[in-house]
Amino acid sequence: MVRELLKHLLKRPATLKYPFEKRPPFKGFRGRPIWDMKRCTGCELCYKDCPSEAIEMIGKGLEAEFKHHLDRCLFCGQCEEVCPVNAITMTEEYELASYDRAEMIIEFKREEKASKNLSRSSKNV
Amino acid sequence: MVPEGVVALLEILLFPGFLFLIALAFFYEWVDRKLLAKLQNRYGPLYTGPSGLLQPFADFIKLLSKEDITPKAADKFMFSCAPLFLLSFPLLALFLVPVAGLKALISFEGDLIFLMFLFTLIAVTVFIAGWSSVSRFSTVGGVRAAFQMLGYEIPMTLVMVGPAIAARTLSISQIVGWQTHNAAWFIWFQPIGFAIFVLCLLAELEFIPFDIPEAATEIVAGWSTEYSGRKLALIRLGKDVELVLAASLITSLFLGGPNSSLPILAIGFFLLKTTLAVVLLTTLRALFARFRIDQMIAGAWKYVIPLAILQMVLIQLGFGR
Amino acid sequence: MSYPTIRIPFGPQHPFHIEPEYFMFEVDGERVVSVTPRIGYVHRGIEKAIEDRTFIQNLYLIERICGICSNAHTTCYTQAIEEILGVEIPPRARFIRTIIAELERIHNHYLWLGLAAHEIGFETLFMYTWRDREIVMDLLEMVSGNRVHYAMNTIGGVRRDITPEIVEKIRKGLDALEERMRYYKKIAMTEPTISKRTAGIGILKPKDAIALCAVGPTLRASGIKRDVRADDPYIAYDEIPFNVITYDGCDVISRLFVRCDEVFESVNIIRYAMDRLPEGKIRIKVPRRVPEGEAVSRVEAPRGELIHYAKTNGTTKPERYKVRSPTLGNIPSLCKMLVGGYIADIPIIIAGIDPCFSCTDRMAFVNVNNNKQWILSGEELRRYAIKWYQKE
Repeated sequence: MVRELLKHLLKRPATLKYPFEKRPPFKGFRGRPIWDMKRCTGCELCYKDCPSEAIEMIGKGLEAEFKHHLDRCLFCGQCEEVCPVNAITMTEEYELASYDRAEMIIEFKREEKASKNLSRSSKNV
Repeated sequence: MVPEGVVALLEILLFPGFLFLIALAFFYEWVDRKLLAKLQNRYGPLYTGPSGLLQPFADFIKLLSKEDITPKAADKFMFSCAPLFLLSFPLLALFLVPVAGLKALISFEGDLIFLMFLFTLIAVTVFIAGWSSVSRFSTVGGVRAAFQMLGYEIPMTLVMVGPAIAARTLSISQIVGWQTHNAAWFIWFQPIGFAIFVLCLLAELEFIPFDIPEAATEIVAGWSTEYSGRKLALIRLGKDVELVLAASLITSLFLGGPNSSLPILAIGFFLLKTTLAVVLLTTLRALFARFRIDQMIAGAWKYVIPLAILQMVLIQLGFGR
Repeated sequence: MSYPTIRIPFGPQHPFHIEPEYFMFEVDGERVVSVTPRIGYVHRGIEKAIEDRTFIQNLYLIERICGICSNAHTTCYTQAIEEILGVEIPPRARFIRTIIAELERIHNHYLWLGLAAHEIGFETLFMYTWRDREIVMDLLEMVSGNRVHYAMNTIGGVRRDITPEIVEKIRKGLDALEERMRYYKKIAMTEPTISKRTAGIGILKPKDAIALCAVGPTLRASGIKRDVRADDPYIAYDEIPFNVITYDGCDVISRLFVRCDEVFESVNIIRYAMDRLPEGKIRIKVPRRVPEGEAVSRVEAPRGELIHYAKTNGTTKPERYKVRSPTLGNIPSLCKMLVGGYIADIPIIIAGIDPCFSCTDRMAFVNVNNNKQWILSGEELRRYAIKWYQKE
């Protein structure tokens, strides 16, 4: 045990200086999901399968738009898996905490209205 | 010339008095935390000051500003007094130990006995602090502290007398003087005594493996469970000063103390040796699991006390001086 | 005994354990005279919530019964549902499930070792084991995409494949994990302070262990060879040879050794499974509607035997669901172990069964109200409750 202890005197600490040093997530990490509204057909599958009702649908079919409630999201990836047209991708973003719940609703709109996206979604891209 | 009274006052207040000792206490807490972190493959304090040097001080300030709660059922007077005693006893004891130069601030024949008395008083105050908070965890912690004292007090006293017998004086300053004069350290003559002393100091400081009175996973924070805010800040500062006291006692009794009468050199030697002592204490602390109170006392009476007596016998027979 | 005893509460909030649970100890000096456990502080109403969700959604809810053995719970759940559906999952999926289950077991045992070290005040060992736990957590993240809730199992197979590159990385990680665990076992055997605090503590005699229905490593440390993986093989365990570890010390250090050796066994199981990973599909399509039926499924979770019971009624949601977690099975024997011990030994004995009270109580914060943001203060909640009962 003594030898083990002394060996660590020269070693670099295993912990990271977190906010300054970040460990990149592995490939395939399930972070914040994003919708590609060009592909979305409005099939409602992601909305129906979401275990925590984090996905809110406004309108139907090709008109449908989404509100994603980050504060409820489990990051399970079920929406990504179930999407028949691969419109949903899980990004590698993981620093998603916020002081305000209102800030944690991310809207995904169709092309013509895309400019009105909430500030948060553009900030994070 | 500056009048002598002013010099004495400055000595007590600034150097090597209160201010210096308290700064040293914060510094050694930092050394302790940083080294422990290093041994455990972590960073330890990082951001306050250069590599976290000011972190203990920042913690102290922060605790001072926190709400101070006194439990309703507590014995208010004793509850408030205990933290003051816990800070002032080790500070007072430190005045008896030579820091800069060969002579301590207060030095008289028999100050070693007085220091032992202060050590006991600290343990008794811990018990009182636990008892007066009334909480069950504090009571158990306080009782454990008292029990633990029964275990380590006797061997510690015995081995502290060792150097005194060898140097034929009961004054710490003169023990240091003897070592300087004979250019010899007691650690070479009385290695058993040194080991036992370090072990007992671990118990006195409530470091692992003897952090039984404040074992976090068993009795929350032990005797200090109910303390908060300013009182807790004082207790923590007191603990740090106690660490300085422990380190400087190891230095004075066994490592030859500040080995020079030149103040600059003396303070340099003192800092070097006490830092070494802190490093030793910290490394030991990282090495063990916590003992149970019955195991600790049984161990102390079965092994440590006989060994301490053996050391005394050896000294009487002429080895170790 | 005519002495008055002191009653010492442990919990619901106590630094010895992160989860809220309550034990009332009657102590005489430092000796424990009797124990009264009170469970239910983390009741989340999960079983009811399960009835309210579709089978797909339940995958993720059931995963969240426990943070550590999340995979064991979903394995158990998918097994039950697959049994009702009458489908057989592809062999590759079975092997991948086995690999994940064993990685999870390694993770859990590393975590436990750290916690046990913490309970006996061995901070350095705690730091080291939790650092090394990162290796297996990284492996799991690499395979599944998340460090805690792997979400690997789905009804009809697994969601992600294990590629040859990942196999290589897992092999490397396993070598490191095996070597470190060997070292920790050596420390546990040689370090006197550890054996002083764990040997001969929390004795559970084999007779009592059977009478009180102990499960998992707690049972196996009492010398009884019982393991669902061997007795009632599920997923790929019938094709993989492995030993059931038993020690007959009946005390905490035997539980420690059982877990250390189980890590070695798990490493071997994973290596074997990766060598013989069958080719083929990883999942099959299953209908969303599950026919009427009921099923009981058993899994050897890292902490012991886990039982799930499902009853379906031909819709997309289960009619009744019941979970019996390993910790619940171990609580009676825990009380037996504690009586007669010292206060100082309480934490390590409780930690010795590797308790997971969230598993036991099953709670979930189901504050989903379709369209509105829904945060309630305590006062609001009280008013809400009053209104609710007035309506009735």
